[in-house]
Amino acid sequence: MDDATLVDYAKTLDCIHCGLCLNACPTYKLTGAEPSSPRGRVHLMRSVAEGTLQPDSEFAEEMDFCLLCRACESACPSGVQFGVLMEHTRAGLQTERRGSFFARAARWIGFRVILPSRFALRLVAFVGRSAQRTGLTRFVSRFGFARALRDAPTIPPSAKRALLQPMTPARGEPRGVVGVLQGCMMPELFGRVNRATVAVLAEAGFESRVPSAHVCCGSLHAHNGDREGARFLAQKTIVCFEDIVDASGHPSPIVVNSAGCGAHMKDYAHLFDADDPWHERAHRFAERVVDFSEFVALPRTRAALERRLRDRPSRAQAVRVTWDDPCHLCHAQKIRSEPRALLDLLPGIERVEMRDSEGCCGSAGIYSLLRPDDAAAVLEPKLQELSDTRAAILVTGNPGCQLQWSAGVKRAGLNVRVAHIAELLDEALQHGPIDPADRNA
Amino acid sequence: MEPKIADGLRAIVGDRGLTTNATRRATYESDGLAHVRQVPDLVLMPRDTRETAAALRFLKEWNVPIVPRGAGTGLSGGATPVAGGVLISTARMRDVIEVDSVNRFARVQAGVVNVDLTHACADHGLFYAPDPSSQKACTIGGNVAENSGGPHCFKYGSTTQHVLGLVFVTIDGEIIDLAEPCVDPLGLDLVGVFVGSEGLLGIATEVTVRLLPVPPVVETLLAIFDDLDSACDSVTDMIAARLEMSAIEILDKHTIDAIEASVLAAGYPQNAQAVLLLECEGSDVEVAAALRDIEPILARHGAYDIRRARAADERARLWAGRKGAYGAMGRIAPDLYVTDAVVPRTRLRELVRATTDICEKRGLKVANVFHAGDGNLHPNICYDRRDKDELARVLDAGDEIMRVCLAAGGSLTGEHGVGLEKIEGMEWLFSHDDLAAMCRVREAFDPKRRMNPGKLLPMRACMETRSAVRPNEPRNG
Repeated sequence: MDDATLVDYAKTLDCIHCGLCLNACPTYKLTGAEPSSPRGRVHLMRSVAEGTLQPDSEFAEEMDFCLLCRACESACPSGVQFGVLMEHTRAGLQTERRGSFFARAARWIGFRVILPSRFALRLVAFVGRSAQRTGLTRFVSRFGFARALRDAPTIPPSAKRALLQPMTPARGEPRGVVGVLQGCMMPELFGRVNRATVAVLAEAGFESRVPSAHVCCGSLHAHNGDREGARFLAQKTIVCFEDIVDASGHPSPIVVNSAGCGAHMKDYAHLFDADDPWHERAHRFAERVVDFSEFVALPRTRAALERRLRDRPSRAQAVRVTWDDPCHLCHAQKIRSEPRALLDLLPGIERVEMRDSEGCCGSAGIYSLLRPDDAAAVLEPKLQELSDTRAAILVTGNPGCQLQWSAGVKRAGLNVRVAHIAELLDEALQHGPIDPADRNA
Repeated sequence: MEPKIADGLRAIVGDRGLTTNATRRATYESDGLAHVRQVPDLVLMPRDTRETAAALRFLKEWNVPIVPRGAGTGLSGGATPVAGGVLISTARMRDVIEVDSVNRFARVQAGVVNVDLTHACADHGLFYAPDPSSQKACTIGGNVAENSGGPHCFKYGSTTQHVLGLVFVTIDGEIIDLAEPCVDPLGLDLVGVFVGSEGLLGIATEVTVRLLPVPPVVETLLAIFDDLDSACDSVTDMIAARLEMSAIEILDKHTIDAIEASVLAAGYPQNAQAVLLLECEGSDVEVAAALRDIEPILARHGAYDIRRARAADERARLWAGRKGAYGAMGRIAPDLYVTDAVVPRTRLRELVRATTDICEKRGLKVANVFHAGDGNLHPNICYDRRDKDELARVLDAGDEIMRVCLAAGGSLTGEHGVGLEKIEGMEWLFSHDDLAAMCRVREAFDPKRRMNPGKLLPMRACMETRSAVRPNEPRNG
């Protein structure tokens, strides 16, 4: 690949160098360095495309340092498609990157063997759980190469890792059928969030269908420069959900409870050239994709939940909760008011705003695994913002954020529960008052 | 550049405070004036006054030019690097040192972002008044260097009216501490001299600013017009009627279209040829009285609709749209040349039209969005810097706009500074003696003229000063 195609040159020209993105960027806020800002990165890409700069290791480092949170897109009046630009550049860099044999092998196994296979994912979870139980991970993580294992999330017991049923019926009067994305790592780490998701949908009158052949949407592949893997998984996802239709044969909405996956699935078309038939197919698919909070906050669904929640017992003292906008929900999907409106339905809570709630928490897909120190540094000021809210529960809508916050809260010694919005809605529907402590912990 | 320089600086600011790598340095090659570019030899990011002073003391013996930089959002090339020079960025000096809510001042490091200062004092019911359109990114230090303005400077005045004290470091690394907030400086007003000196006298590292109480009532009006001329005339009349507003802005159709196509879409009506964005602040009696006076004037000039922002978020959207206008123009072409001219407010209609004609007769696309209340025009010229011929036409148009505005009794710049961009204009506006006097002030701080050379004061004039100050010698022409 030559330097001209390494970068999507035409899209770099959208940047007018005004700098309004600077203060929105987590890596610029961390370093104050222009090359670590969106404007700086676009400038680097444009210079490479124009041949005035070589895509050297420093160039690659700045591209890797980016969290791909897309906060710059929310700040950019000029409409620079930074996410697309960065994915393109990373894919280009990946094809020419050498790296150590070990790193390339780990990458290949992760992206091409584990993520696309339910069997492999479950095997890894099983082995991981056993290793965590026996103390093997603690032992192995003393060796440099396996340091990341120490910070790996605790894998729940197998009973809590059950997959969703292919079909969960609506409760009460049925109002429709939805497809639900179960996800690749969700069942292994956040089976409870998946179960809460279909339970809330059932209460709202929707039958959930989960295509059992489906595993991974490919967003991690696209964000990390494996465009080919991303294309393959996008095609597979599209096919898996194509025959989920309602009673009248109309394609059903596809509900996604992971903001990162939803944002990527809504954006599938950009993986395919405009003259590729998959482009149009991806476009039609994308129109069906909805975030969980986006779908449940639709007026009729929300009204149905509101009726059910109204007669639930409340509690004398309100529990303080705060919403942390996942980047790929607020910046990529422009969803901000819906989750807040849903939280306001919950009995016995007081919702407060957290400063910089739209700032990245540092999770960023597998970023927190690849660059744990940077990820922790990005979260650091946000932990202070959280503590300033004096909230008992931090609510999010993305599994990566949930892991990152849980680890951060533990590290900082804060007494804050980290929950997915679907879990809280489910709890309110099942039990009434929201518990400031995690029932599952 | 001599490797010993980097080694010496690294010992002072540490690894994170110094950028030597060519790829990383390349991103500093321009500020908001994107067609002029020069990669700096080194980029230095000190954490505080002490590090800045130590670095400048060290650099003294190497005799290299120094260019200060805030966020690099300036539009006149004030932070364009100089060949063979060191760029000193204040981006890591980001601490709000003190907010004194009783005495209404704040002390901040120079790299604090303008809007972060206002956030820091919001809990006390106070705010920092100068609000340049780039306020979400630009730094207080940069505002001090350029004496920045903003929409609300119509009422509150520009940066210089709000700086109570400073700490700056001279080219020799001497720390000049004028941080104590004082209303009436004793002796020479060095703070007054420093504000707006565009980095020629030193690098500000700490700034003490005045804070104002947030006004109890704010009303934001959007007046909609069928043509730009009438919008301009209504402003002239409002000024003549001595109405007390805090901001008077005009946006033309091209600007409205660009904003409405962006993430900052604010609900500006796209069928209008121009809108006036007005704000009144004060007690409810004052605001009501002002509105009573304003509305008939707007109606007389043909405003066919006057909308009031109903809530704080609607007001915030209207302003975010206005302040993102420059960036939004990126939708029209890859580059934008933002001219900054000041004209008498009695001749707004005529001069807005003249500047538009200057651009259009050169085949350039121009959009107008400006601080009408201050007579501060910003004809925004859309272009593509890769097209050399178009760039030449843009610069030519910029020159003519400057000449026309000067001839009409206006000024070179309203708020963006002279920088590199308007340095020739200084010679049109000022006599040789004027410039020589300014050069002598500069040389009192920096005899070798190593601070930000080539900006604000024409080098030629400074060189000639050397001979001019010699007594009893006849001067040529």
